[in-house]
Amino acid sequence: MRPEDVKVCVLRIEGTNCEDETFNAFKILGADPEKVHLNQLDGHAPELMQRSLEDYDVLALPGGFSAGDYIRAGAIFAARIRSALSVDLTRFVEQEKPVIGICNGFQILVELGLLPAFEETMSPMPTAALFTNDSARFECRPTLLRNDNRGNCLFTSRIPKGEVVMFPSAHAEGKLLSMDPDLVERLDDNDQIVFRYVDQDGEQSGYPWNPNGSPDDVAGICNPAGNVLGLMPHPERALSRFTHPDWTRGYEKEEGDGLAVFRSIMDHVRG
Amino acid sequence: MAYDRLLRKRPLPFPLTEVDILSASDDELMTMSRDMGLSMSLDEMHTVRDYFHKEGRVPTDIELQSLGQAWSEHCCYKSSRVILKEFLLGIEHPDVLSRGDAGVMVFDDDYAYALRIESHNHPSAIEPYGGAATGIGGILRDVVCMGAQPVALIDPLCFGPVDRKEELPPGVKHPRYLVSGVVAGIRDYGNRVGVPTLSGGFFFDPRYTGNCLVNVGCVGIVPRDEITQNFVGGPGEVMILCGGRTGRDGIHGVTFASAELKETSDEDSRGAVQLGDPITKEPLMHACLEVNRRKLITGMKDLGGGGLSCVVGEMALEAGCGSEVRLDRVPLKEEGLAPWEIWVSESQERMMLAAKEENVPEILDIFRTWDVLATPVARTIPQKRTRVFWDDELIFDMDLEFLTGGPLYCRPHTVSKPEGLEVDEWPELPDRNRVLLSLLSDLNVASKEWAIRQYDHEVRGATVLRPLTGHINRVGPGDASVIQPVLGRWKGLGISVGCNPWFTALDPYNGGLSSLDEACRNLVATGCRPHSLSNCLNFGNPEKPDRLGQFREAVRGFGELARHLNLPIPSGNVSLYNEAPGGVVLPTPMIMGLGRIDDVRKAVSSDMKHEGSALYLVGKTKKEMGGSLIYRLFGGKGGQVPGVEFDRLSLSMNLLLKAMDKGLVRSCHDCSDGGLAVAVAEMCIAGDIGAELNLGPISGKDLDVALFSESNSRWVAEVPVGKEGEFETLMGDLVQRIGRSGGTKLIAPVAGIDLKVEEMRQRWSEPLAKIMG
Repeated sequence: MRPEDVKVCVLRIEGTNCEDETFNAFKILGADPEKVHLNQLDGHAPELMQRSLEDYDVLALPGGFSAGDYIRAGAIFAARIRSALSVDLTRFVEQEKPVIGICNGFQILVELGLLPAFEETMSPMPTAALFTNDSARFECRPTLLRNDNRGNCLFTSRIPKGEVVMFPSAHAEGKLLSMDPDLVERLDDNDQIVFRYVDQDGEQSGYPWNPNGSPDDVAGICNPAGNVLGLMPHPERALSRFTHPDWTRGYEKEEGDGLAVFRSIMDHVRG
Repeated sequence: MAYDRLLRKRPLPFPLTEVDILSASDDELMTMSRDMGLSMSLDEMHTVRDYFHKEGRVPTDIELQSLGQAWSEHCCYKSSRVILKEFLLGIEHPDVLSRGDAGVMVFDDDYAYALRIESHNHPSAIEPYGGAATGIGGILRDVVCMGAQPVALIDPLCFGPVDRKEELPPGVKHPRYLVSGVVAGIRDYGNRVGVPTLSGGFFFDPRYTGNCLVNVGCVGIVPRDEITQNFVGGPGEVMILCGGRTGRDGIHGVTFASAELKETSDEDSRGAVQLGDPITKEPLMHACLEVNRRKLITGMKDLGGGGLSCVVGEMALEAGCGSEVRLDRVPLKEEGLAPWEIWVSESQERMMLAAKEENVPEILDIFRTWDVLATPVARTIPQKRTRVFWDDELIFDMDLEFLTGGPLYCRPHTVSKPEGLEVDEWPELPDRNRVLLSLLSDLNVASKEWAIRQYDHEVRGATVLRPLTGHINRVGPGDASVIQPVLGRWKGLGISVGCNPWFTALDPYNGGLSSLDEACRNLVATGCRPHSLSNCLNFGNPEKPDRLGQFREAVRGFGELARHLNLPIPSGNVSLYNEAPGGVVLPTPMIMGLGRIDDVRKAVSSDMKHEGSALYLVGKTKKEMGGSLIYRLFGGKGGQVPGVEFDRLSLSMNLLLKAMDKGLVRSCHDCSDGGLAVAVAEMCIAGDIGAELNLGPISGKDLDVALFSESNSRWVAEVPVGKEGEFETLMGDLVQRIGRSGGTKLIAPVAGIDLKVEEMRQRWSEPLAKIMG
C-alpha cells in the first residue's frame, strides 16, 4: 500500500481543537488524512459532505474540549459516537484498524469502553475514567515518557522498549482511575501499558514529571489487541525538534519525538 | 420619571416607545441621556434633536439607543482620535495589507498574519471570569473576520497587589480574587477554543486596585488570497447573522466602558458584562473560515461593542450603501426582549456575514454541518440608510453618515514637567545580595509559572519558543514567544509585549518610548526582527486635562519611535475612563510587537547554555533611575526616567540580529525591571548555570547604577568560546564584556554579590504560587 492510499479519519465535533496538528502528523508522512465532523458520519450533513467510517484505514480522535467537557471529559462526544456509530466502530476495531485517541481522545475512548476493554472490544459501560489532576488544575508542561510496552502495541513499533521520548501534556483530567483495584496490574499483565511518565533519568519520579498523579505514572494504554491507543500527552505537538521545549540547548536530529507514533501506524497499515 | 410626558408607546404587540425630544427641555434631555443609559452630553443631545427636527418626526427608543452606542468613546474614539491621527496613524509600510478590525501584514509571499490587541477592563473589574473570557472571545472574532485562523493569544494584565492586607475602597474587589477569576477566564476560554496563550505579562501596583486592566491580543494567519473585508460587497446582498443567540447579557457594554467605575458599578452594570461560550465560538470560527475559504461571502464582521446596531450600519456604509433589517428574525435566548435591547445587545459569539443571494444556501449548509445557527436578517440597499423592521412595522430609519459620524473632540490637556528633573533621591539599600533577592521575588519580576501552566501554550503544535524556557521542569522567563505558523516553512513569527507604566506615570513621553523599546527588545532577544505593532492604550478620564496630557505625551513618544523604526501600527485600541474609587490607574500604553525570523532554527532563547561562555552587555547604561524597581522597592524618589536614543536602538537591533544570524549568540535576554543584575540572574536560573560578573573599576552608586539601572535598548548576550573576537568586531563599541558563565553561583566580587543559582531560583519561583495557592 502506498502512503497516499492510507485514509485517515480525523474525527471532530464542536470543541475538538487539535485536529489541525493531528491531520498534519499524517500529512507529513504522505498519508491521506481528512478532518471529518461526526455529523458527516451519522447522516446529519448535506449529502455531498457525508462520509462512511468503513472507508478509512485509521481513526484518530484528537485532543480538545469536545462539547466543552462540561459534564465529564469526553462524555458527550462518546455518547454521541456510541448512539450513532457503535456497530461501525466495533467492526472497525475488530478489523484491527488503528484507533488513536490523544488527550480528550483518550478520555473519549475510555468513556466509549474501547479502553481498557478487558472483556470485549467495546465494553457496554466505561470501566475506568480520567480523573481530575492531583493539582486540581489544568497543567500545560512538557512530559517525558518511557515506552514500557513489551511489543503488543502497534503504535510504538518504531520506539525501542525503555526509550524515553518527550511529548507535551496539557490537560486538567489525566489521572487514570478505575473501581477495579487491580487496574494497573491487569494492564501490565496484558501488556496494555504503553507509556509511563518519567524524569530526565528515565525514572518514575512523581509530580511534576507525572503532571496528574496517575497511578504508577501510567500515561498511555492500549487495548488487549494493541490496535487502540489512548494517551494523555500530545505526540502530534512534537513532530519537529523545534517544537520541543529545550531544543535550543542542543539536539541530534530535526525530527520530533512524536512522529515515531505516526510512523508506527503507517507501518502497520501498509503491512 | 421626569420626562414621562414625552414618551408615547406605539400600539404594537411588542414594546416600542417614541420619545419626543423635539419638545424636551435641556434638563429633560440630560435626564433622558442618563436614565436611558445613552451617556450623551447636552451638546450631543442637541445635535440629535436637530437631526430629528430636520427629519420632521420624533425618534423611537431604538434609534436613540443606537446613537448612544455609536457615539460612545468606545465606538467612535471621540476624545482620542485627534491625538492618534497626529502621532500614530499613517505610518505607511508596503507590508500593510489591511487595516480592518485587525491589521493584516505580509508574512511571506503566500501568507499574511493578522494582529490586534484591545481592552476588556471594566467588565473584568466587575466580573473577572466572564469579563476576561469574553475579552478573549471578542479579540478572536476580530482576527477571524479578516479570514485568519487565530494562532496565538496574548494577555497582559494589571492588578493591585495580590497580597494586599488593608481594607479596600467601597465596591472594589480584592486583587487576589480578580487575578484568580481573570486567569481562570482566560484559561477556560482560550484552552477550549484551541488557541495557544503565548505571551502576556502581569503588572502589580496599588494604583490598579480599583480598576484592573485586562488587555487581550490575538494573532492569526491567513493565505494572502483569503484575506477578507469587514464590509459588504454592495447593494442587493444578504446579511447573515451567525453563531450565538441574542439575549439581555451585554446591554450597554460600550457606554459602561466609556465612564469611570463607581462604587455601585457592580449592581448597576453587571448586565453589561456578556456571557462567553467557547463551545459556540469554536465551531463558529471553523464555519466562518470555511465559507470564506470557499469564496462564498463578500465580507464579514464581528458583533462586538454596540452589537447589531454598530455592525449593520458600519458594514453597509463602508461599501457606500445601507440596509434593511428584519429584527424579528434574530434568534433569541429568551422571549420578550424589546427591539432596542435586541439591537444593542452585545451577546457573545456572533458574526455577521455578507453574501450574494445565490451563495446563501451553501453557506447555511456549512453552518448546519457545524451545528451553528445562521440566519439571514438583512438585505443591503443602495441608499445610505439603515431601516429596521419588526414584522412589517418600520421602527428605525436613519441616515448612516449621521448615525456613525459621531462627535470629535479636541479636549484640553495639560502636560506637567517630569518630576525627576529636579528631584533624584537615592534610596537606602541593604547589601546587594539582599537587593538582588528582593528584586527577583518582587511580584513584577517573580515567576508567572502559576498562571502560564494553566494556559495551553502548546496547542496547534507550532510553538518554538515559549514564555518559560530552559530545562524541562527547571525554567526561567523567556522574552518573545516564537511560533512556526505555516506547516513545512521555517519562517517564524515572534510575539512580544512591552509596557512600563511606572516610567509613563513619571514621564509619559519617555514612558511611551520605553514601552515600545521593550516590545522591540523582547523580539530581538529571540532573533526576530520587529515588523509591526498593535497597541492598547489604557488611561484615565480624558475629560480631565492632566489625564489627557499623559495620554498625548505617551502616544507622542510611542508614535515618534515607531515612525523612526518604520514599524506600522495597522490596528489598535484605546481604553479611557480607567478610574475608580481609590483613584486613576497608572497610565498604561500596552504595546504588542510582532517580529519575523527567516529560520526558526536560528531562534535564540534566554537560558544560559554553556559553562565558560563570554557574557556581554549590549547597549549603554545610564544613571536613569526614575521609576526603576529599586527606587520603587527601597523608597527612592524622582530620578530621570530612561529615554531612548533612536539611532542607537536601530543600530543595536540590526547588529545583534546579524550576530544571531551568524550563530555568534547562544543565549540572550533583555534588561528590563531590575536592570542588568536581574537579567543575568534570570539567564542563570533558566540555564541552571552560574556566572561571574566583572563590571570594571567602579564602586558605590556607580556600581548600583550599572547593576540596577533600567536604561533602555540593552541586552545580555552569551557568546560561545572562540567567537568573542568575531562578536566584538561586529558589535563595536555597542558592547561591553561583563563576565563569564560557569559554576553554580552568580558572583560579582566587587559588588559583594555571591548567590547560589538554586537560592535565586527559589526566591524567583515561589512568590506568586505561594499567594495564589
